Amino acid sequence: MKSGWVRVVGLVALAGLAFWGWRLLHPPPEQVIRKRLTALARAACISQGESQLARLASAQSLSGYFTPDVQITVDISGHSRQTWNGIDEVREAAIAAEATVSALKVQFFGINVTLGPDHKSAAVELTAEATSPGNKNIEVQELKVTMKKIKDDWLIRQVETVKTLR
Amino acid sequence: MPTTGTNDKNAPSAGWGQRVLIGRDPRWTVLRIAILVVVSFVVSKFVLLPIRVQGISMEPTYKDHRVNFVNRLAYVFHEPRRGDVVAIRTSDEHIMYMKRIIGLPGETVAFHERHAIINGQALDEPYVKQSSDWERPTEPVGPDEYYVVGDNRSMDWDEHTQGRAKRERIVGKILL
Repeated sequence: MKSGWVRVVGLVALAGLAFWGWRLLHPPPEQVIRKRLTALARAACISQGESQLARLASAQSLSGYFTPDVQITVDISGHSRQTWNGIDEVREAAIAAEATVSALKVQFFGINVTLGPDHKSAAVELTAEATSPGNKNIEVQELKVTMKKIKDDWLIRQVETVKTLR
Repeated sequence: MPTTGTNDKNAPSAGWGQRVLIGRDPRWTVLRIAILVVVSFVVSKFVLLPIRVQGISMEPTYKDHRVNFVNRLAYVFHEPRRGDVVAIRTSDEHIMYMKRIIGLPGETVAFHERHAIINGQALDEPYVKQSSDWERPTEPVGPDEYYVVGDNRSMDWDEHTQGRAKRERIVGKILL
């Protein structure tokens, strides 16, 4: 009787382990998207004293997260609405931004992923927080991101700012 | 060897240090710790959400880096009221705006000559200590919206986040 229970417990543990292993090798798309966006936030960070060459390489690497026809629209109070169309414009904007900031820490919070019915696209809501040393102000911005799955890779197709307070 | 302080001769004897650290009966101590952990989790998740204030937009009422709590049950029996300081969520509750409600659903809000103007009348705001140069035209507040703003009106309009918040985004009232 006792050995029977041990067998059942062993089987359940084995099934759990198998499920965990399978999830590790085949993570759900939501998890892949969250990881991808977290990696983007990490890539957008700039360390103090980073060389111009390193900054240039960092800005170039950001383009790997976007589709070639990406569109980024920024509409925040106090600034005129601005849109970047295509990967080249985004890359140029990233290079220009990295040249003007001494250091920057970017983090994404509250990443809510809604997969499209085809599982090839996803709508993501998130809150971006940007801080720079010496600046007491923390920039917080809600974003709406549309992602597209291209060759097993989730890329950003569209980014729009969301006004939390209108 | 010090005594355990019990009259039960069968009870295992424990040292003073052990009694202070884990009590007379370790099983009850474990149970008490488990209950404390569960209660703390439930309270901090569903009743009083701990927050840390960041930024200067609510000064002088709330200073930068202070710890506070959001009472999530504040609006169970009534809707938010004018003057309430509330937490407004972004895409989740990790980052929230802390603002004061000055305009209620259906009202109009404007800023003129150092005053917030609600439905054409200057609002008495004793919590606003610094003078403001904000001049903003009249803006209607939607039926399911609240107009929120910080107490620090000495900031530039563009640097101060304010505006209409949807009711569903108001997480609760600031406790302290």
